[in-house]
Amino acid sequence: MTDEILRTENLHKSFGKLEVLKGISTSIRKGEVVSIIGPSGGGKSTFLRCLNLLEIPTAGSVYFKGQDITDKKLKIAEYRRQIGMVFQTFNVFPNMTVLENITLAPTLEKKVPKAEAQEEAMSLLRRVGLEEKASEYPRKLSGGQKQRLAIVRALAMHPEVMLFDEPTSALDPEMVKEVLDVIGELTRSGMTILIVTHEMGFAREVSDRVLFISDGVITEEGRPEQIFTSPRHPSTNKFLSMVL
Amino acid sequence: MQNIISLLKQYYYVFLQGLWGTLWISGVVVFFGTILGLVIAIMRMSRFKPLKVFTDVYIEILRGTPVLLQLYFFWIALPKFLPIELSDTACIVVALIVNASAYIAEIIRAGIGAVDIGQWEAAKSIGLSNAHTMTHVILPQAVKNILPALCNEFISTIKGTSLASVFFVGELTTSYKTIQTATFLSLEPLIISGAIYFVLNFVLSRMLKLLERRLMVSD
Repeated sequence: MTDEILRTENLHKSFGKLEVLKGISTSIRKGEVVSIIGPSGGGKSTFLRCLNLLEIPTAGSVYFKGQDITDKKLKIAEYRRQIGMVFQTFNVFPNMTVLENITLAPTLEKKVPKAEAQEEAMSLLRRVGLEEKASEYPRKLSGGQKQRLAIVRALAMHPEVMLFDEPTSALDPEMVKEVLDVIGELTRSGMTILIVTHEMGFAREVSDRVLFISDGVITEEGRPEQIFTSPRHPSTNKFLSMVL
Repeated sequence: MQNIISLLKQYYYVFLQGLWGTLWISGVVVFFGTILGLVIAIMRMSRFKPLKVFTDVYIEILRGTPVLLQLYFFWIALPKFLPIELSDTACIVVALIVNASAYIAEIIRAGIGAVDIGQWEAAKSIGLSNAHTMTHVILPQAVKNILPALCNEFISTIKGTSLASVFFVGELTTSYKTIQTATFLSLEPLIISGAIYFVLNFVLSRMLKLLERRLMVSD
């Protein structure tokens, strides 16, 4: 498959005696939008975090464009620049202004000239409606604004894949939409996206494919309309009947 | 009171010399103690076991023995084992640096540990190198956490330099001893030295308070 961008083979991850991932194999195409759903503790987030090596897999491999990224010789920081990640808790840098949050990595790690980085940061901020906040510190932002900032901070590195780890779970309900709108727009831009989410309506609307992960394995996967309307596996069925 | 004024008139330069000694020794000890402390703190957080064990032992020994004993140790041991000639002052300054570094390392480690794990993950996820993660994201936030504790440590470092008088290294408490020997007055020079120490530390702690407030801008 030539347009494959990420592939995992028999991915395992244990924390001490607790085995969280019990062999996950899947392949992600370039430009594909994949939602990952499933019960808490099932391994969704751990799977996502293995993809940019925030968790080092215990066994198995992750391939990015055919290259094994679990290879010890790989420069992890360089790899991570190609993979953006957005966290449940935003994790914006409180000691920097909104603009500095975005320009930090491009200027430090890609040696983009400051003026150029700022210009791009401003256009990213415009895209998510935050241009007026550029010189503020994050403490003055609402949760939804922080999360939009976190998204453009990741985009500033021009990643090839974006990982979203429950990006709206820590938000007040009225702010969920503004963040989903930004992610939704991104899904239409051709970006490869993996998103762990509890927003089933959103997952159904934007995804090309849905992975249902429970008990550390992909229990079921398929097109969103199939998963949400006629799940084959009993545990998918049970989960969906509880959340929908 | 009269004695104090006449003492000041007659011996002010001795006090000034002492003050200068205390200032530069404190400055050097705080500066290098902080750098060494930072290095020790980072070594202690290393995943490489031997480094961690070494720094654990280093910190425990320095915290578990009296400063004065450490000064004697360095004063005797350094000239013995180093090929170069070292003055008493140099030995004492090195000892004070090493002692301060242990305490400062613990303060820094705690401060770094208090920075939310999400900050590390976010920094890594945008591809920052480990060094840049430390210098641009973690340390600036840690400094805020540790400034009050660090301020205490700097003040006790300044007070600790008075122990150098045991070895007659030029500083404020040595000035006191000099004047006491020359004039047979005890209480008066002691009060003057004490007042100078107090003002010094008071000014320092106010300055650090101001710095603290300025750093709080982003919270």
